Amino acid sequence: MTEQLYGKADELLEKAVFAAAEFQQLDQQQTDRIVENIFRAGFNNRVRLAKMAQEETGIGIWQHKVIKNSVATLLVYENIKNEKTVGVISDDELTGIMEIAQPLGPIFAVTPVTNPTSTVMFKILICMKTRNPILISSHRGAAKSCTETARICYEAALEAGAPEDCIQMIPAGSREFTQMVMAHPKIALILATGGTGLVKAAYSSGNPAIGVGPGNVPVFIDVSADIPFAVSNIILSKSFDNGTICASEQSVVVEQGIASQVRDEFIRQQCYFLSPEEIRLVGKFAIMVDTGTMNPFIVGQSAQVIAEKCGFSVPAGTKILLAELDGVGKEFPLSSEVLAPVLAFYPAKDYNEAIKLCIDLNYLGGIGHSAGIYANDEKRIVEFSTLMNAGRIVVNTPTSQGAVGGIFNRLPPSLTLGCGTGGKNITTENITARHLINIQRVCRRQPNEKFLSIDHTKFLDESLDAGFFLMEYHKNH
Amino acid sequence: MISFNHDTANNQLTIRFNGRLDTLSCPDIQSAINDKFSKIRKEGKQDGPKVVFNMQEVTFISSSFIRICLTTFHGCGKGNFAILNCDPFLKKTFKIAGLDDLLTVS
Repeated sequence: MTEQLYGKADELLEKAVFAAAEFQQLDQQQTDRIVENIFRAGFNNRVRLAKMAQEETGIGIWQHKVIKNSVATLLVYENIKNEKTVGVISDDELTGIMEIAQPLGPIFAVTPVTNPTSTVMFKILICMKTRNPILISSHRGAAKSCTETARICYEAALEAGAPEDCIQMIPAGSREFTQMVMAHPKIALILATGGTGLVKAAYSSGNPAIGVGPGNVPVFIDVSADIPFAVSNIILSKSFDNGTICASEQSVVVEQGIASQVRDEFIRQQCYFLSPEEIRLVGKFAIMVDTGTMNPFIVGQSAQVIAEKCGFSVPAGTKILLAELDGVGKEFPLSSEVLAPVLAFYPAKDYNEAIKLCIDLNYLGGIGHSAGIYANDEKRIVEFSTLMNAGRIVVNTPTSQGAVGGIFNRLPPSLTLGCGTGGKNITTENITARHLINIQRVCRRQPNEKFLSIDHTKFLDESLDAGFFLMEYHKNH
Repeated sequence: MISFNHDTANNQLTIRFNGRLDTLSCPDIQSAINDKFSKIRKEGKQDGPKVVFNMQEVTFISSSFIRICLTTFHGCGKGNFAILNCDPFLKKTFKIAGLDDLLTVS
């Protein structure tokens, strides 16, 4: 059986490598034509694919998945379309350094169940823009919609002259096979978006990886903030696709002085504060006691469905369930990441306590991901940002849409958000096409006269110290 | 696009290609090669010929053409197949395809 799997993996990779060989002969214009064709095909199918993904996974809201598909195609395309990714991409006469972009080779992409079709289209676009063949392993719960997405993109790619097998789907279902492909020596890079286990597997495979894991996003509403504006933005973000974006808010932290005002505003805008017993019930449902991980059956469900599953009811049209908590950690399950419209709510004694709570929340499973602040006090924005360990600190903006980029700010639109070393990732950036090229630097001779003018025999003299050489180095001749 | 020169004395078949060997043209190339092999087999009492792909006038190769190279190699056996006169870009393409170690490419 294992030998058969090896054979299958070799076959997939041979096709991918041949595609890579053909791909590297294409110029920028040919590459861009392929990317544009894929964008158009993906965008034109945004509604059908969104409905398909929602029906297949039972997660989220199809209308919101249409927006995700639009971000993953229209905004990503607009962001990368003029980027140079082939051949000479820069030539700086001042430094004498010329940069040449080279493709990486076959990229193994893992996509999550929460944003299935959008992540597939996003990863295909950035791989094609950089002339890298892509092998996609989708979450088994979204295999049908992801396969259809890949098929549409592949046909569009071929129509525009892309190499055969430049886009391949890995058959869903076998973890052993997925890991085998991930560790295959012909894989150039793994682009993994998903849970901690998956990201760890990617980094342990022996191949280079960009792995992006979970978040636990705290949002601080400062006393200087516009409270109704802050609350409406948080609701917009946390209820978007029923909270399935890993950059969505998980906790709202406020100073005691404005807590009741914020609480009233949430209620006014159709949110529901859970009673202590309801908090216990939702916590038990959301986080599995034995593993301490998120229950997949809560992911992307509406507030009403979650309440029903927990055995109580909430008013029709409830957008978010809020749980006022006393602490952070295992004893408070709802202080962890829950990809559903459930928010923890923390009134803190004062500003310092509020920020300390945000730090605790940030470090509870979401290090390096994202954080949010609503404030009109620039000093506090900078202080908060300095104290968070987050790749993106989103200011006066819904964190789901803000961290993804391209809608409310100028971050590169991306469905793969780097979390830095804190999240065991290689970067804190929003991953995009420029992360998928090898940049060669052609360094023309430009001697460092200051260094070369030092008598090099002096370096051998142990009696001469650093101060002497700094003087020599900076001496005017 | 493709021309054959069979040196019967040395039993060497040189196949000369030119232009873009893209996905669309490769099925015709493959069938022309197959026909030629069948003809040689029918005509001759010799073993299968040594095969040389002359790439001097080739500007682009698709993954389908790389597959033709691999099929031809498997048909001829090691030492009986060579790809000659590649320009540096084609040489690199064979490197990336991972065939440089398996095939004789120059």
